[in-house]
Amino acid sequence: MKVPDTKGNKINAIIRACRIITRMNQANPDTPKSEALYYQMLSSYYTRLRNAHDEGGFIAAHTVFFPSEILYAMDIVPMHTEMTTWMMALFLGEQAEILSAGAELGLVPEICSPHRGLAGAFALGALPRPDAMLWSNLICDNTAKSGELIMELTKCPGFFLDHPFQRSEAEDKYLVSELEDMIDFLEEKSGQKMDWDKLSEIVQKMDHQMELLREIGELRKAVPSPFPNRGFLQLLTVDYLCPGQPEAIAYLETLRDELAEKVREGKGAVSPERFRLMTLFVPPMYLMGFLEKIGQEYGAVSVVEPLFTRWAEGKLDPSRPLESVARKTAMIPERRSMYGPLSQEVLQDLIDCAEQYKVDGAVYWAFMGCRHTCATVKLFKDLLNEVDVPVMTIDCDIVDPTINSEAEIREKMEQFFEMLEDR
Amino acid sequence: MVIDVTQTTAGQLKTLGRFRQINDTFPRTEQIREHKNQGKKVFGWLCTYVPEEIIHAAGILPVRVTGYSQEMELEDGNAYLYINNCSFSRSCLQMGLRGEYEFLDGMVAGSTCDGARRLFDLWQHYIKTPFYHILTVPRKYTEKAHGLYYQQVVQFKEHLEEFLSQKIADEQLRHSIEVYNQARVLLKQLYELRKADTPPISGAETMEVLNTSFHMPKETFNQWLKELLDELGKSSNRHQGRARLMVVGSVMNNPEFIKSIEAQRGLVVTDELCTSTRYWSDPVVLAEGQSPVKAISRRYLSNFPCARMVPSDERFRRILNLVKEFKVDGVVSQIIRYCVPYAHDLPLLRDRLKDIGVPMLALDVEYGTSGSGQIQTRVQAFLEMLEARKR
Ligand code: SF4
Ligand code: SF4
Repeated sequence: MKVPDTKGNKINAIIRACRIITRMNQANPDTPKSEALYYQMLSSYYTRLRNAHDEGGFIAAHTVFFPSEILYAMDIVPMHTEMTTWMMALFLGEQAEILSAGAELGLVPEICSPHRGLAGAFALGALPRPDAMLWSNLICDNTAKSGELIMELTKCPGFFLDHPFQRSEAEDKYLVSELEDMIDFLEEKSGQKMDWDKLSEIVQKMDHQMELLREIGELRKAVPSPFPNRGFLQLLTVDYLCPGQPEAIAYLETLRDELAEKVREGKGAVSPERFRLMTLFVPPMYLMGFLEKIGQEYGAVSVVEPLFTRWAEGKLDPSRPLESVARKTAMIPERRSMYGPLSQEVLQDLIDCAEQYKVDGAVYWAFMGCRHTCATVKLFKDLLNEVDVPVMTIDCDIVDPTINSEAEIREKMEQFFEMLEDR
Repeated sequence: MVIDVTQTTAGQLKTLGRFRQINDTFPRTEQIREHKNQGKKVFGWLCTYVPEEIIHAAGILPVRVTGYSQEMELEDGNAYLYINNCSFSRSCLQMGLRGEYEFLDGMVAGSTCDGARRLFDLWQHYIKTPFYHILTVPRKYTEKAHGLYYQQVVQFKEHLEEFLSQKIADEQLRHSIEVYNQARVLLKQLYELRKADTPPISGAETMEVLNTSFHMPKETFNQWLKELLDELGKSSNRHQGRARLMVVGSVMNNPEFIKSIEAQRGLVVTDELCTSTRYWSDPVVLAEGQSPVKAISRRYLSNFPCARMVPSDERFRRILNLVKEFKVDGVVSQIIRYCVPYAHDLPLLRDRLKDIGVPMLALDVEYGTSGSGQIQTRVQAFLEMLEARKR
């Protein structure tokens, strides 16, 4: 397998797109301050990545839900692979090119598009060549299986982080030992040492970050709910890209304050608020603008995403940084709800969410590439129907816009709103 | 007498009929009914990372949960697991929802892949089996991973003991290891026969034997297999085909699929399936004075790996060894749609086979497929290509 020169990568284009959005936001006095901070965060993340090799930095590519706190503490430059592919899709509209490059490698369409796209992006040289590939089995077979092909494509060394499926003392210890082995691997490959004090600081900030995310979750319970539909992806990106980093904290603090003010003033994200929705799994990335628009038109707002934004309660302990990183991994909403046996606790939480957030209906984005989340469509539907919450399922692809058109999705959503209205 | 692989020897191999009968009647087999009639329990297990010896040592009959060995309507399976989970997991669930597995007293799975773990989740929710257990199966082979898996097997054993209100003694475990190891040795002997230029048993017939191996008591299976081996030793029938093939990929326990390849005179001599070679390949090695649970757990984690394990090199290494040992001309990869672990390995495996000059035919299939239609055309073209290479 041959890979072209990586000089022509698309990181510059992502940075340019962020700058354009920032300028547009600056020109619009109504844009919330948090929005500007978000794009600044993105822009500095990708600028650091772009400049890494010129500045003698070590780039570690990693898959989703990866404890990149460790990379920050070692002064290693992280490259979130799925997120970067999504960004390319979102800002640059280059899905077709990277997906077909993935297909050329021999990856069948049943492999989820973020991962087909990811391999395709590396094969095209659209991403910088990493100095190490880190990947894990959080939270699916696609993540678990993606690393080796990328190692082969980019000819870089790699480390697989094995997350135990359940929680027990032995399994928690195993995860910590996996993190230790990964640090050894990174120290050896990068020649950079782990800075334990820095990791403790990050853990402390991470604790604050989780608290902010929980507070934001609480504020969204208000009627009307203050958080706009387009914000969902942003809420995820913060932790995916910059966990425990000052930029993330600044964005979240500002966002929390803005939402608190809106709640005080009784202002909702949509006005009038007619339908409070639960979002199950993720809507297609390229539809964020559309969802915002249709939400405004119909007064529909996503108030809770149980699989993605429900952070577990609990504190981290900066004096035990590595155990805390492992513990945080277990507190991530996605890990709790989508990995591990489907416990009563998870099912109960779904029902609690519906009640606490006064949900009128739920939209399940059935992403055909994501097997384990589609496997719960029927079960979640049955449970939510028991508490009188209707569920609409939309088959989709989160990256590839050719699967279903905006018009089709609009029609389905309009029918759903009509049905909710009739109730 | 050398006969073409398209000609069945079923008429001549008397002992094969018994295996076939089990396959034809599964899951309502006489063996399972008899076992239940004696007041004993039957447990279902999913995936080869579930240590069967532990179940067997508790006096329970372990039965592998599979679909029928043919394609079936999956209405319920689709509704509950959605259409994007592999048709293997949907077939198993379909059978479970239809009550075909109502005789099960327990269901044991491993966290092997998304399809299997979600099947387990839904089974637990919608099909009321009295006992459930899922083991965390690490994806690595490091000593730490072995340590964790050992604890998982201990936990499983304790959970089972609690359910049965009865201890499972080391002596019973040793006995179960012996019984299962014997099956492994016998199956290896069967495979050894297939290394011959003209093997006495076809690939489809071998699959019939394997299919029964996890659907009936091992003690009887071993007895039957010994008799079959005796019979094969005396038989003068030998099979020949246009090319020697190896089948790799997702779970498959359907002799019809192999038959459809052999009907075109492609002689299937070996495989890397979790329903065949990967099921029996490694014995439990019990050292003097070693705890049997430790020996069992070590064997299950380090056995011929599934595509779920990391690094995949170990799987590839073993496949390439088999290619050499069995003098394989071409590899047929059959991957069930939405079987992600195997699909990801495909480009890497293809490259490795290419390096040693062995072509691969990659087929997208559904679980239980009989290999008709388009598959036949592609197999035909593949065989022609292999023949042309020989000329
Ligand atoms: S979309 Fe689903 S299958 Fe794909 S990486 Fe995410 S969790 Fe895994
Ligand atoms: S390995 Fe593949 S075929 Fe087997 S259960 Fe998992 S996804 Fe299905």
